Amino acid sequence: MEVRGKEVVVKRIITLNVNGEEFEFLTEVHRTLLEVLREDLGLTGTKRGCDLGTCGACTVLIEGKPYLSCLTLAADVQGKKIVTIEGLAQDGEPHPLQKAFVQKGAIQCGFCTPGMILMAKAFLDENPNPSEEEVKQAISGNICRCTGYTKIVEAILSLTHK
Amino acid sequence: MRLPKFEYLEPKTLQEAVRALASDAKRSVLLAGGTDLLVNMKHRVIEPKQVINLKTIPKLAYVKNVKDELRIGALATLHDLSSSRVIQERFPILSHVATKVGAYALQAMGTLGGNLCQGNRCRFYNQSAFWRGAKPPCYKAGGKLCHVVRKPGECHSTYCGDMAPVLIALEAQVRVVGPNGERVLSLSKLYSRDGKRPLSLRKGEILKEVLIPPPSGKTLYLKWRRRESIEFPIVSLALHIEKDGTEKIGKARIIFSAVGSGPVETIGAEEMLESSSLDNRTIERVSNQAAKEISPMRTSIYSPSYKRRMAGILLRQALENFQIPNPK
Repeated sequence: MEVRGKEVVVKRIITLNVNGEEFEFLTEVHRTLLEVLREDLGLTGTKRGCDLGTCGACTVLIEGKPYLSCLTLAADVQGKKIVTIEGLAQDGEPHPLQKAFVQKGAIQCGFCTPGMILMAKAFLDENPNPSEEEVKQAISGNICRCTGYTKIVEAILSLTHK
Repeated sequence: MRLPKFEYLEPKTLQEAVRALASDAKRSVLLAGGTDLLVNMKHRVIEPKQVINLKTIPKLAYVKNVKDELRIGALATLHDLSSSRVIQERFPILSHVATKVGAYALQAMGTLGGNLCQGNRCRFYNQSAFWRGAKPPCYKAGGKLCHVVRKPGECHSTYCGDMAPVLIALEAQVRVVGPNGERVLSLSKLYSRDGKRPLSLRKGEILKEVLIPPPSGKTLYLKWRRRESIEFPIVSLALHIEKDGTEKIGKARIIFSAVGSGPVETIGAEEMLESSSLDNRTIERVSNQAAKEISPMRTSIYSPSYKRRMAGILLRQALENFQIPNPK
C-alpha cells in the first residue's frame, strides 16, 4: 500500500493466465479485466462497448464460460484460464467459428464479432446441437448494430450437425 | 468508465467476511458476481471504502438435497441452477427462471444470492454521475429529496429481481450468518420494502443459503419486458397453485416483481382464488383484484397505470394456463 498525501493507493502484483500464457504485473486493484487486457497486455481484440454489461462486446471466456470483462475485477480472476479472441486461432489457423463468420458474411464493422464468436464458442461447447431458437437465445446478450443477426446465426448453425 | 478506488479483501472464511463487513458496515460492500455492484460503482451511486469478495470463500456454491429439502448456496450461479440435474428434476421452474434473468454471460457470472439481494432500481438512481449531475442527488443517492415523489425521507425505488417471487411462492427460507450467529427466516422477510435499504439484514449479516421445502402444486413465472432476453421486468409474476384434490384451488400464491419496493404478494387476490374453481368469472375478478392491490411508482419509463394493467393481464394469462387439463 502506498500513501500519497491523503490518498491511499492500493496496488497488487497479479498473475493472469491469458490464452495459455502467464502474465505477472503490478496494477491497482480497482481495474477491470477489460482495462488490463487492453491497456496492460495490449490485447485489444476484446472491445469496450457499453462498459456496463449490457452489450456483450467485452465477452471473454474464463474456464470455458462467457464472462463480461467490463464487470470483472482483474484481481479476481487470477489462476483462472482466460481466453480472448486472440487465443482462438491455433498455430496461425483460424478457429472454425472464425472461418464460418467470414464465409457467411457475418462480419460488417467487426466490433461485436470477438464477443459474438467467444459467446458462440462457449455455447457450442456446452450445446453442440442447438436449434436456431437456442442459438438466438445464446447470443441475445451480444448486441450487433450492423448485420441484423441473420448471418451470425447462420454462421453458428453451420458448425452444428444439423 | 473506471471504477472508483477501494480496498479489496479476499476472505477465506465466511466468519472473516462477516467480521470485515461488521467492522465498517456503512462503507463496505459484498462482491459476488459483480453484475449489479460494479455497474453502480461505475455510476458512482455506490463508492465503498471496502469491497469484500465472497467468491474466495470455499463451499458457498452448491445445490444439494438434504433429506426432503433443497438447499442452494448463495454463491451458486444462475447457470449452476439452470444446469443442475437436481433442480431440473425437482424444481424445473427454478431452472427455467434462472435462464430468464439475463443472457448467457450474466447467468455464468450472476449468483442466486446476488440476484436475491440486488439493489432496488429507479430511473433517477441507476444513471451515470454525469447524468445525475443535472439535478441534486436523490434521496437514495445521499441527497434530500426523492425525484419520483418530491418529498424527503422516502425512497420509492423498485425491486426488480426474478428469483425472489418464484422462491417466495415456493415458501423458501434463507439462512443468514452474522456477528451474533446464524438465523433462518422466510425469504419474504428478507425484504424491508424500504427503497433506500431494501434488505432487512442486520449489520454484518451475509446471506449464506436458500432452503426450499419439497415441491407441491405447480408454479409459473411470467416476465413481461421490452426485449426478450436481457432486461429487468416491466412487471413479472410468480403464480403458485395447489389443487385440493377436487378441482378446486387449495392454496394460491401470487407474487409480483417490479411493482413495489420489494416483491409484492397480492393477498386479497389469493384469498379470492382459494376454494374457487377456476372459471372465467373468477379469473376476471382475481385479475382485477390483484391490479388494485399493487401501487407501482414512476421509477422507470413505464407508467404506473401501464404496469397495473399488465399485472392484471399477466395474472389472467397465468390463471388461464391452469384451466387447461394438463398445464405445461
